[in-house]
Amino acid sequence: MTSSHWILIAVLAMAAFAIRVIGLFAGDAIRASRFAWILDDLPGLIVVSLVASSLAGQPLITWVAAGAALIAALLTNHVIATMFIGFAAYAALGWFGV
Amino acid sequence: MKHGAFAILPLAAGAAVYGFAFGLLAAQVGFPWWGVALMSGLVHAGSSQIVAVEQFATGGAVLGAALAGAALNLRYIGIIASLSEVLRGLPLRVRLMAIHITGDENWALTMAKRAHDPGVGFRFLIGSGLVMITVWTVSTSMGAVIGAALPDLEKFGLGFAFTAAFIAMARGLWRSHAQLLPWITSFAVTGAVVLLEAPKAYAIVAGALAGLIASYLIRQRGAGRG
Repeated sequence: MTSSHWILIAVLAMAAFAIRVIGLFAGDAIRASRFAWILDDLPGLIVVSLVASSLAGQPLITWVAAGAALIAALLTNHVIATMFIGFAAYAALGWFGV
Repeated sequence: MKHGAFAILPLAAGAAVYGFAFGLLAAQVGFPWWGVALMSGLVHAGSSQIVAVEQFATGGAVLGAALAGAALNLRYIGIIASLSEVLRGLPLRVRLMAIHITGDENWALTMAKRAHDPGVGFRFLIGSGLVMITVWTVSTSMGAVIGAALPDLEKFGLGFAFTAAFIAMARGLWRSHAQLLPWITSFAVTGAVVLLEAPKAYAIVAGALAGLIASYLIRQRGAGRG
């Protein structure tokens, strides 16, 4: 592993544990504050931004496969099923030269 | 403790499949199996790990990748706060260990069981948590071992598996129509910033902030009407 791999693991581990510790000692106070809605909203917004950054500027095949993955997600609400169907759609579209 | 350890097994089986898939993807972008094991044992947060690894693999800055992953863990502030009764009176070291091994699955199971039986407490949480972190670490490592032995799957569009995973996570985080406008705002702003050829990490931050502003404005409008 490179130093970048080590730093990623270390920073992610420290951040994950720090968030849990904040929850242990200040969670009740934060949840009662006027900023509690940010905790609820931010994870979804980050994930949607990740989807958008993956799709922006990509060819049609990626958007169509994303549509298939979205339908799979809506129908199954299951991560592995969605990944499998999305990846299969992407590979199939590529195979047929879309 | 045994009660929690056995009760969590069906959920652990589901997490193992997800963990295996994550390990496979991580190996394909250059993480050795033991690095994946180390990350899973120390971080113990699936969605956070997959986001960080994807950002890292697509050339994002290390700190940006870690923070993007960490942001997904903010829900744990509420999750851990809800355990205050379960953990009350325990030594600090036990509480710190308990919060590290607490994940979505064993927290939800503990709270659900406790709703019916107030006797369910920290022993159940710790028993189920130890099983979950063990299964998560082993399954991600096994996925990485297999992933390292496979040919380069990127030419078949492996990168899209991450996109599909994010779509599935978004579905899991969907709660109500009140999220629609903030999510559309985030999506549009992120896409626009990427098309302006800014680094993806900045685009994600800009999109998330724009979504938060939209959400705040909607809440203010709702409060004004109320």
